[in-house]
Amino acid sequence: MKEYTGSWFSRRKWILVGVGLPILVAGWWAFRPEKFWINQVVNEPAPFASSTDPQPLYTGRLEGKVHQTSGRATIYQTSDGEQYLRLTDFTTSNGPDVHVLLARSDDENLGQEIVKSQLDSVELGSLKGNQGDQNYDLPASVDLQKYNAAIIYCERFHAIFGVARLERF
Amino acid sequence: MVRNVKTVLALAALVFTFGWQALAHAQDSMTKTLETGTFHGKVHSTSGRATIIQEHDGKLVLRLTSFKTSNGPDVHVILIAARDADDDANFLKSSTERVELGMLKGNEGDQNYEVPDGTDLSKFQTVSIYCERFNANFGAAPLEKF
Repeated sequence: MKEYTGSWFSRRKWILVGVGLPILVAGWWAFRPEKFWINQVVNEPAPFASSTDPQPLYTGRLEGKVHQTSGRATIYQTSDGEQYLRLTDFTTSNGPDVHVLLARSDDENLGQEIVKSQLDSVELGSLKGNQGDQNYDLPASVDLQKYNAAIIYCERFHAIFGVARLERF
Repeated sequence: MVRNVKTVLALAALVFTFGWQALAHAQDSMTKTLETGTFHGKVHSTSGRATIIQEHDGKLVLRLTSFKTSNGPDVHVILIAARDADDDANFLKSSTERVELGMLKGNEGDQNYEVPDGTDLSKFQTVSIYCERFNANFGAAPLEKF
């Protein structure tokens, strides 16, 4: 005759293992907690990336301030290292002495419609047209980390027509 | 006669070499960027850029760059018929229409996904990194015209 002398746990050990293990496995399968600290890094090349074509570096959508302004501003780099700003789907209102500038996106002037204090900016030239695709050469050695916004700016009235905050492409 | 054949062959070789190069270059520059947008997602800290590229043969490719999200179980890349999506949004519950692009290849790094032929990009306007197991949106990138 067998005597049950062990504790409650050791007597039911196999039942506990039989129930507990599947629960643990199911829990692991559902949550995969190890993925929390395991990264899976991939690095696929761009489809048909041609090294001779200008590559986009930064891009952003234009938002209107004083006047309705829309479109996209993108900074490209050519294969020989020159950079330019390209406006596409672009439309703004026509005006006197309108310029394209690069400014700092954290500049508090960009939150307002009219610039009241000194605007820290890089001049790219007079606006070529108030509609349509257009390119503006960037001066060599512009710090694009610092000047990370493109603005359409009316010099005569210190009015910001539109702002595009540029993000890495 | 033999000389003629040789001349013709030489000419053919020339035409083939340069013609092929010109064709290859034309194909290269016919890759077009259609749409782009940046990811937002705070709960699962998702960031990076999503771009739709049209290849020379008309096929669409979704490319993720500077991409980062949290690793998780059964995570997929999908296009959804919505303008944007909140963190942890459940598209099953909201019965949002979607297009499946495949399992997420990695939670970090540049990666490409084929977009099925005939996908209407004017309808499916947002890329979502979606956990199928828990029906939760890890991050969304609303696409805008490039």
